[in-house]
Amino acid sequence: MRILLVEDEILLREQVTQQLQKQNLTVDSAEDGQEGLFLGLEHPYDVAIIDLGLPKLSGIEVIQNLRQAGKDFPVLILTARGRWQDKVEGLEAGADDYLVKPFHIEELSARINALARRASGWANATLACGPVTINPTSQEVFNNGTVIDLTAYEYRLLHFLMLHAGEVLSKTELTDHIYEQDHDRDSNVIEVFIKRLRTKLDPDRTLNPIETLRGRGYRLTLPRK
Amino acid sequence: MRVKQLSLSNRLLFAVSLVLTAFLGLSALSLNNAFQASADSAQQKRLKNYVYTILTAAEFSENGLVTMPIELAEPQFSIPNSGLYAQITTGQEIVWQSVSTLGIFIALPEHPGASNEYFSKIKLNDEVTVLNLAYGIVWENDQGKDFNYTINIAEDLNTIDQQKADFQRSLWYWLGGTGLMLLIAQWLILRWGLRPLHDVTSDLHAIESGDRNRLSQNYPKELNQLTQNINTLLSHEESRRERYKNSLADLAHSLKTPLAVFRGELESSLDINELRQSSHEQLDGISALVDYQLQRASTEGQSSLLAPISLGEIIHKILVSLDKVYQSKNIQRQCEINNDIFIHADEGDMYELLGNLLENAYKYCNKQVSVFVQSKDKNVIIHIEDDGNGIPSQAQDDIIKRGKRMDTQIEGHGLGLAIASDIIDAYQGEIRLERSHLGGAKFIIQLPKQ
Repeated sequence: MRILLVEDEILLREQVTQQLQKQNLTVDSAEDGQEGLFLGLEHPYDVAIIDLGLPKLSGIEVIQNLRQAGKDFPVLILTARGRWQDKVEGLEAGADDYLVKPFHIEELSARINALARRASGWANATLACGPVTINPTSQEVFNNGTVIDLTAYEYRLLHFLMLHAGEVLSKTELTDHIYEQDHDRDSNVIEVFIKRLRTKLDPDRTLNPIETLRGRGYRLTLPRK
Repeated sequence: MRVKQLSLSNRLLFAVSLVLTAFLGLSALSLNNAFQASADSAQQKRLKNYVYTILTAAEFSENGLVTMPIELAEPQFSIPNSGLYAQITTGQEIVWQSVSTLGIFIALPEHPGASNEYFSKIKLNDEVTVLNLAYGIVWENDQGKDFNYTINIAEDLNTIDQQKADFQRSLWYWLGGTGLMLLIAQWLILRWGLRPLHDVTSDLHAIESGDRNRLSQNYPKELNQLTQNINTLLSHEESRRERYKNSLADLAHSLKTPLAVFRGELESSLDINELRQSSHEQLDGISALVDYQLQRASTEGQSSLLAPISLGEIIHKILVSLDKVYQSKNIQRQCEINNDIFIHADEGDMYELLGNLLENAYKYCNKQVSVFVQSKDKNVIIHIEDDGNGIPSQAQDDIIKRGKRMDTQIEGHGLGLAIASDIIDAYQGEIRLERSHLGGAKFIIQLPKQ
C-alpha cells in the first residue's frame, strides 16, 4: 500500500515515514503543498496524509486540487490546533478523516488502514480471503491459522492484492503501489514475487490463489470473507 | 499617498469660511451693482426733470429768440460753479447759458434732433467731468417756421461718484463685520458642538494611562452608541485577558503533576516497558491539558458586538463532516432545527462547542444520534442524544462541573466535555445531562441568543 505524506515539520515527517515503513507501507513524502500536490497528481496512492498548515500551498488547497483533478484516494488531515472549524473545512474540501497533533503512530496507522479498507470495500480490520488472513496492524499473515513468513515486498504485494481481491491488477499497478517513487523498478520482479507468494500460500498447488491473466495482469481469486 | 487628515473642526471652519466669503462677496457685488444702477438712473431722471424746468421757464419769440428769467426754479443754476449747468443751443451757437456756467466752457455735444435725448460724459478739465443730457426740441412760430434747439443739462459726476464710493465703503465695512462675527460665532458653535469628542479623547487617554477603566456614560445620544460599544469592547477584552491569565496559570499549575510523576517514574522505574507505558500516559495527559487550556484561552466569549451566526448551518456542516468520518459505523442520525436559529456568538466557539459534543455522541453511540435545536424566549435550546451506554451517574457531576481542572482525566467524554462546558460558561449558558430515551446520554444546552 502506497502512502503520500505531506508534512512540513522535518522531524515529524521523517519519524512518521520511518514508522510507517516499518509497518511495511510504501511512503512518499513531501515538505510543502506544491510538492505534495505534484506527487498526488503524478502517482497512484492508496491513502494521503496531509498537514493543514503547509507552506506554499495550504493543505486545504492541496486537497481541493487533488479532488478537482479526479483523484479519489482517501485523505487524512493532520491539524496542530485541532480547531473544529479547520476540521470541518478540511472535510468539506474532500478529506475523509482527521487526526489532531500530537498523535500516536498506532492511531495514525489504524486510521490509514481503516481508510484504505473502506475505500476498497472491506469492513473488518483483518482482511480474510479463503484460508488466508492478513492483519495490517501486526503485519501477520496466516494461512489456515498458521503464520506465514513473508519478506517486506512479498507482504506489501499480498496486502495490496488482498485489499483489491477479485480485481484484475496490472503489473504496473502492482509496481506503483509497492515501490517508493525513487525506487529502481523492474516489473519482472513482480513475476518473481507472485511466484513466491503462490508457493508460500499454496504449497500443495490446490488453491491457485493468484490467477495470471495474460497481457492484463493478476487477480487474487480467493473469495473475500 | 494621502495628505494628512484635517481635523474635524478645521474642516468645518475651512468649509464655512469658504461658503461665507463666497456668499458675502457675491451679495456685496450684487448690492453694489444695484446701487450703481439706481444712482445712475436717478441721475438721468433728474437731468430730464431739469430739462422740463428749463423748458417751462423759457420764452420763445416769433423770430426764434429765447429769453430766460434771471431766477430759475432750481437755485443751483444761479450759483456759479455749483456743479449743475444748463445751456440752450441751436446746434451752431449758444443761445442761453445758466449763471452757474460762468467761466466754464461746455463743449457742444451732438445735436440729437427733436424730442431725442442723448447722454454723454464730458471731461471739462482735469478735475471736472460732467454727465450731459442733450435734449432736442422744435419751436414752431405762428408762421409755421421751425426753430431747432438743443437743451444741454450737465451735472458734475464728482458728487455722485463720491456717493457711490461712500456707499461701497460702508457696504464693505458692514459685510466684513458681519462675516467676522459669523465666523467667530461659527467657531464657538463648533467648539461647543465638538466638545464631547474632545471629552471622549481625553477619556480614552485616561484609560490608556490607567486612570479610568471605562468611558463615562454622559455623552450626547449620537456618541452614546459608539462609547457604549467601546465600553463593551473594553470589558470583552478585559474578560479575555482574564481568561488568558487564568488558563496560563492553570496550565502551568496542572502541568506540574504529570511532570512530577514523569520525573519520579524516570528516577525509580526499573522496567523499561513499564516506564514506556507510564510515560505514554503522562504525555497523553500533558497533551490533553495543553489542548484544553489552549482552547480555553482562545474562547472568544460573549459579546454583543458579534454578528449573528446560523447555528443550523454550523450543526449541518459538523454533522456532514462526522458522517464522513464515522461512515463505517452506519449511524442513523436525526436532526431537527426549528426554522433557522441565529445566535450572537463567535463562530469558532460554536464550532468548538457543537463539534466536541456531537463528536462525543458519534463516538459513544451504538447506532443512533439525535440533535434537536429550538428557540425559546431569549435562549436557544440544544438537545444532543445518543443510544450509547450513557455516563455513570457519579461521574456526571464531575464532568460538567465548572472550571474543573483536567488533573483527573475522565475517560472518554472528558476533554471534549470540559471544553464544551467552559465555552457554555463563557456565554453564561447552561448544560445539563439527562438520560436519553434512546438509552444513552442526553445533553441539554441552553445559550442566550444575545
